[in-house]
Amino acid sequence: MFLKGAFLFMARTSLSRANQRRENIAGYLFMLPSLLFFAGFVIFPMGMGLFTSFFNYTMTDFSFVGLANYKELIADPIFQKALWNTIVIVVVSVPVTCIFSLWVATVIYKMHDAYTSLFRCIFYLPVVTGSVAVTVVWKWMFSPYTGILNYVFKNLGIISKNINWLGSPEYALGCIILILLTTSVGQPIVLYVSALSNVDNSLIEAAEVDGATNLQVFWKIKWPQIMPTTLYILVITTINSFQCFALIQLLTSGGPNNSTQTIMYYIYYNAFKLSRYGYGSAMGVILALIIAAFSAMQFKLAKSDNG
Amino acid sequence: MKKLFALLLCLVLMIPVLAMAETEITLWTYPIGSWSQSEVVDEVIANFNAVYPDIKVNVQYLDYQSGDDQVTTAIEAGTTPDIIFEGPERLVANWGAAGKMLDVSDLWTEETSADIAVAGPTLKDTCTGADGNIYLYPLCMTAHCMTINYEYFKAADALQFINEETRTWTTEGFVEACKKLAEAGYLPGIVYCGGQGGDQGTRALVYNLYNAQFANAEHTEYTIGSEAGVKGLTLLQDMVNEGILTADPAIVAADEIALFCNGTVAMGFCWNASAAASNKATLADGVTVFPMTFPSEDGVPVLDGGVWGFGLFNNGNDEKVAAAKKFIQFVCDDPVQGPKSAFATGYFPTKGSFGDIYTGTDKAENGEYGMFTPYLGDIYQVTPGWATQRTEWWNLLQRIFAGGDVATEVGVYSTNVNAK
Repeated sequence: MFLKGAFLFMARTSLSRANQRRENIAGYLFMLPSLLFFAGFVIFPMGMGLFTSFFNYTMTDFSFVGLANYKELIADPIFQKALWNTIVIVVVSVPVTCIFSLWVATVIYKMHDAYTSLFRCIFYLPVVTGSVAVTVVWKWMFSPYTGILNYVFKNLGIISKNINWLGSPEYALGCIILILLTTSVGQPIVLYVSALSNVDNSLIEAAEVDGATNLQVFWKIKWPQIMPTTLYILVITTINSFQCFALIQLLTSGGPNNSTQTIMYYIYYNAFKLSRYGYGSAMGVILALIIAAFSAMQFKLAKSDNG
Repeated sequence: MKKLFALLLCLVLMIPVLAMAETEITLWTYPIGSWSQSEVVDEVIANFNAVYPDIKVNVQYLDYQSGDDQVTTAIEAGTTPDIIFEGPERLVANWGAAGKMLDVSDLWTEETSADIAVAGPTLKDTCTGADGNIYLYPLCMTAHCMTINYEYFKAADALQFINEETRTWTTEGFVEACKKLAEAGYLPGIVYCGGQGGDQGTRALVYNLYNAQFANAEHTEYTIGSEAGVKGLTLLQDMVNEGILTADPAIVAADEIALFCNGTVAMGFCWNASAAASNKATLADGVTVFPMTFPSEDGVPVLDGGVWGFGLFNNGNDEKVAAAKKFIQFVCDDPVQGPKSAFATGYFPTKGSFGDIYTGTDKAENGEYGMFTPYLGDIYQVTPGWATQRTEWWNLLQRIFAGGDVATEVGVYSTNVNAK
C-alpha cells in the first residue's frame, strides 16, 4: 500500500515536472524572437561598443590602444563641457518634468472624462509629433529675425532688442531644455493620470473623515501608491534626458561655442563627422555607466523613501 | 517519366531568363541640381537602359544633412553603393584617401582628358588623390558666388560700391556698403556658422577680404592662419561688433538663403546657378537677385570651385565595376546624354566639346553664371583632413564671433586641421 502510494506520488511528480518543463520550453520559445532581437540589437552592439572602445578605430585603422581613448576623453575639454551640459539638462529637466506632470495630472484626473482625455491629447501631441517638425516650429519661434518670441517679449517690454536665443551661449541650453520639457511631459502625465485614478478612494475618504488636509491626503495616501509610477517616470526621463540628441543635432549642432554640446551629440560628432569610432565608443561606455549609476541611485532613493 | 519531363520543361523555360541575367548596380546621388528628383534620374537610367538593357541601376537619394552619415555607416557595414555622385572633397579627399574608392583612371582616356582640360585645365589634378590614383570622373562644375538684393542696395545708395559690369567690389567698398545698408535700416548680411552646410560661402568671404589662401598650392596644408587670413577674420569680427554685419551661430547656409529670399537680409554669401534656379519661386516682392563675386582688397576675387562627378566604391565585384563604368561613361561622355546629364545639374559641363548647354532653354539664366568662371580659383578641397577642416571651420567662426582672440583661435584651428 505504501509502495503503491510512493509510486503514484513519483509518477505524479515526474508528470508535473515534465509538464513544467514543457511549459518552460514553450515560454522560452515564445520569448525567443524578442530575445534574439534584444541580443542582436542591444546586447551585441553594447559588447561591440565596449570592445571597440579599446581600439583606435577609424576609417583606416583598427589598432589596440588599451585605455588611451578613456585617458584622452578625461582630458578633453569639449567632453568635459558636454558632460557638464548633459548633467545640467538631466538635473533641471527630470525634476521639472516629474513635478509639472504630477501637478497637471492631479488637476486633470478628477475632471470629466472628456476633459481629461482632451488634456491628455494636448500634452501628448508633442510626443507623437516628429522631432523634425517640433524643432522646425521652435526654430521659427526662436528666430532672431522673424521669431514670434522676440516679437511678443518686445511688445510686452520684457526685452528691448531681439535676442538670438539659439545663437547665444547664455540662452541656448535653456532653450534646448524648454523644448525637451514640452516633448517629455506627455508620457508622465498620461501615466500619472492612470496611477492617480487607481488610488483606492476608500482610503482617501477615510483620511478625509479623520480630518486629513489635502496635502496630508496627497503625501500619506496618494504619493506612496503612485511611487512605482514615479520611479518608472524618473528612470525613463533621466535616460531620455541623458540621450538628448535630435534637438541638438537639428537646432544647434552643439553650438554656439559648445554651449549646447552633450555627450550623445559629441559621440555622434566624433564617430560620424570625424570617423573616430573607437573614441566615440569610449564615450558611449562612460555615458552608459553614468546612466546606470543615476538609475541605481534613483531606485535606491525611491526604495528608502517607500520603506 | 512525368517528373523527368517536368524537370526538362522547367530548364527549357529558364533558358531565356538565364540569357537575360542582369547585372544590378546601385547609384547613390547627393542632391546636385535636379539629380535629387526621381523623374530626372529615372529618365537618365531609361536612356541608359535603351543602350544597355542588361544592366539594372538602383538609385538612392541622399541629402546633405544625413548623406555623409549614411555613407560612413555603409562603409563600416560593407554595404556601400557601386557608384556615388558627389565632389572631390568627399570622393578624393575623404573616402578615396581612406582607400575605399576605386581608381577610375581608365575612364580618363586621352580623348576625354583633352576634352575636360578645355573646360578646366586643372580638373584632372582635382580628381586625383595624394596616392596618384584618380577617384572621380567629373560631369559638371561651377564657381560659387554670393548675391545681393539689388533693390536694397539701390535704396540704401550702396550700388556705388559695386562694379555692376564685372560684378566685383573691394573690401573697402563692402564695408561702406554694409554701413549704408545698416543706416538705411536693412540687415546687411549674416555670417552663418551653425554647421558646415554651405561653408564655402564663409570661407570665400574670409579669404578674399585680404587675398589670403585657404590652402597652399601643393594641397598639403591649410593656410588661412596666415596674416592675411587673420586680418580678414578680424575685419569680420569688428564689423559684427560694430553692428554692420551679423554673425549667427544658430543657422547654416540654407537658413541664410531663405532669409535672403524672403527679404530679411540684403546679401547672401552662399549662392550659385543652381541656388538661383531652385529659389526662384520663393523670392519675396522687393527682392531682386544680383549675383556678385566676393569683395577683395584689390577688387580681383577668387571664387570657390565646385566640381561634381562619379566615383566607384571598392566592392570587389569586377562585373559590377565594369557595369558601373559603362554607366558613368554613358552619363558623362555620350554626346547626347552627356549634355543632358550636365543640364540636369544646373551647372556647367566639364567637357569643352559640350559647349553652351543653356542658351535657348528654360534654364537660360543659369548660363549667365558663366561670367564667374574666369574667377574660379584653386580647388583646395582635396587637401588631406578635409572632413576635420569642415567641422573646425564653423567652430572657429563661433569662437571668434563669441569674442575670442582671432590670432589665438586661428592658431587652434590651424593646429587641429594640419595635424597629421
